Amino acid sequence: MNGTAFRWKAAVRKTGAVAQITLRQQLAYKADFVFRSLFLLLILFVFVQLWSTAYDGEGSEVVGGFTLKQIVWYLVFTEALTMAGPPLCARIEEEVKNGDIAVRLTRPFSYLAYHYASYLSEALFRFVIHLGVGSAIAWPFVGAPSFGFGWLGLAVLSIGALTVDFLLKAVVALCAFWVEEVRGLDFVLQKLQFTVGGMLLPIDLMPEWLQRVCAWLPFQAVLYFPARTAVNSEGANLAAQLGVQLAWTALLGVLVTEVYRRGVKKLHVNGG
Amino acid sequence: MSMAGKFGSVIRFLLTCWKVNLASALEYRTSFFLLAGMMFINNLMWLFFWSLFFHRFPVIHGWRLEDVMMLWAVGSGGFGWACVLFGNFPRIAAIVSSGQLDVYMSQPKPVLLNVLASRMSVTAAGDFVFGIVIYAMVGNHTFTGALAFAAGLLISGCLYISVMVIAGCFAFYVGNSEGIAGQVFNSFLALSTYPSDIFKGLTRIALFTIVPAGFISYMPIGLLRSFDPVFAGWSIGVTLLLGVGGALLFKAGLRRYSSGNALAMRS
Repeated sequence: MNGTAFRWKAAVRKTGAVAQITLRQQLAYKADFVFRSLFLLLILFVFVQLWSTAYDGEGSEVVGGFTLKQIVWYLVFTEALTMAGPPLCARIEEEVKNGDIAVRLTRPFSYLAYHYASYLSEALFRFVIHLGVGSAIAWPFVGAPSFGFGWLGLAVLSIGALTVDFLLKAVVALCAFWVEEVRGLDFVLQKLQFTVGGMLLPIDLMPEWLQRVCAWLPFQAVLYFPARTAVNSEGANLAAQLGVQLAWTALLGVLVTEVYRRGVKKLHVNGG
Repeated sequence: MSMAGKFGSVIRFLLTCWKVNLASALEYRTSFFLLAGMMFINNLMWLFFWSLFFHRFPVIHGWRLEDVMMLWAVGSGGFGWACVLFGNFPRIAAIVSSGQLDVYMSQPKPVLLNVLASRMSVTAAGDFVFGIVIYAMVGNHTFTGALAFAAGLLISGCLYISVMVIAGCFAFYVGNSEGIAGQVFNSFLALSTYPSDIFKGLTRIALFTIVPAGFISYMPIGLLRSFDPVFAGWSIGVTLLLGVGGALLFKAGLRRYSSGNALAMRS
């Protein structure tokens, strides 16, 4: 076996181990986790009331290509994905501030790969739990999620969505190497996902000019693509959406690597 | 000491607390303005969502975009002044369960007031400014309109404080109730920022009883757009009831409080 193949194999093994450890950590505190998920129940209940009232007032069963059932399940998927992502910016900021990063960097494992493996494992676990919690509200109010191939689209696009989400957060989080405090930037990123990312309102229901802007931003690949495809797989071009996710993954991947490469040279750790 | 003397002493104490808190916050001026600005942007993004929503659905059960903007003005403004002047109100459960009450009990001042006023939330200054800016943009600028808005701010701020004091008092009875108090806090905030008229039946009843967020979220209609004396009377009554109830519950809780031997400097 040559050296490159061996290194790759070792990297994959390490990544798998990190993912497994993260998952075990999540399972250790599942009661606490479910308790915290209760807030999702409330938010979704409020959304069901809001959208039911809006549809009642409109007097039409379909608005902007969405039935009430589709819009409620769309919101379940976007909320489940949003709340699935661990607070990466806060974690890296903390590592930089308290010096833990010194230990992390000396380990024979890529710093970015470590965080990606941990992020994806935790996010997927949380996503599944949130889907269950969200279903407890959506199902009784608007009926079963009978979306056929939409579920397949959701599964496929969610991996890419969480990857793009990780990369977006990583760009912001790595700024901690220069400025330490990245809460403000993280906050702006979150709000962009809430609005132009289509978390609260599908992009199809936004004004024409804003839809054109959203098409050029990476945020639609995180929430809008998987949720829209899940509730309406027939109207979605899965291949095109996967292509957009791949393009953003490549672009942001290069950006994250470059930011990390420059940032780690500037980093001064005292103690740790 | 006479009643007037006691009252004067409490006011002087509060003014000193606020002066010291402000000086402390302004010590990190950049951080202060950055955090306050963040909250302002946060609220602005929510209004951006609502403007998109109302672009698609111009009227929701009689509510227009201006009403929701006023709901945010009165809600964030009330929350803002409450957090700036009495910034510890969302943290009572944490303070009680971690034994940090000791330091307040050792001082010759009303314990609850001392706890509440000993912290200033800098981010909340952005909430308060946001409320005022939105009122300046879409509010009723007549004398009665300004009076109604000021009353709305006062009632909403007092409701936020009272509800969280009551939720925080659970810690005296069930031990660590930070999780429950956190859920109450988030739920109350969330419910008070959506138009009350989207809720029907039992939920609507609950909104004006168990979780009295309805007294904030109905304000744009019942107090600001047109003055409804019944709603105004109930709002004031419920606010007073919860305020007094919270203070009594805290007082009763103090008798059950076990010291954590955590006598330390307040930070």
